[in-house]
Amino acid sequence: MAVPLGAFIAVSAVLFFIGTAGVLVRRNAVVILMSVELMLNATNLALVAFSRRYSSIDERGSVFVVFIFVVAAAEVAVGLAIVLSAYRNKPTVDVDEIRQMRG
Amino acid sequence: MFDLVEPALFAILTIAIVAAGVGVVLANRITTSALLMAFTFLNVAGMFVLLGAETIAMFQVLIYVGAITVLILYGVMFTPQSPRPYGLFFQGQKFWAALLVVPIGIVVAIVGSLGFHDSATVAAKGGDLVPLATSVFRDFAFPFEVASVLLLAAMVGAIVLVKRDEE
Repeated sequence: MAVPLGAFIAVSAVLFFIGTAGVLVRRNAVVILMSVELMLNATNLALVAFSRRYSSIDERGSVFVVFIFVVAAAEVAVGLAIVLSAYRNKPTVDVDEIRQMRG
Repeated sequence: MFDLVEPALFAILTIAIVAAGVGVVLANRITTSALLMAFTFLNVAGMFVLLGAETIAMFQVLIYVGAITVLILYGVMFTPQSPRPYGLFFQGQKFWAALLVVPIGIVVAIVGSLGFHDSATVAAKGGDLVPLATSVFRDFAFPFEVASVLLLAAMVGAIVLVKRDEE
């Protein structure tokens, strides 16, 4: 008995929602980065689920996932660099406190 | 009897993913959040195996559970713990939030009731590595090169951002 596709999509949606809630609720920049990673992972899960259940020819969906891996790695590296350089200017990682660039 | 193995694994992985994901958002200590995030990634890798995408699961363990978790832990190490973990949010936006949530909920309910048409799971012929590699290096060779440039740019950018001025 195979698990239906909708179940995987439901898990993906729940994980994406958890990540969104984390980005909106937490004020720590590092935790916000982690929540963004959760959202990216939820997207990967949906892409792989659709890819495995629909395409019997090729692996197009999985290729997207590989590129999302690349973008996630680049995003977390640059994001942490920005957090660290902002922390050097003003010793806080609270995103409400970091407002040097606010007009 | 073996029919129940897959749903049981799916249930365990789902519970672990949701519980650890909620833990990432709610945990007071940032280190706990980071380790729970690694646990979530590991369980998502289990989901990939369940779907028959073993190569993607391997990438997931290598990149997410390995590299990104270590990077995040370094970030945790270099920054202090915030004295107030939660922002005051959703204070005066209840009306607008409800107004936005109701139509989205209706759409989700409609899509969920329609259901998805399942085709048979792809039969495994030497795993998914060969078709994946064929796709990446033949059909998606140019995006692959662009991705390498993106990684290089990200690396240079991160170094420039963090580097101290030597005076």
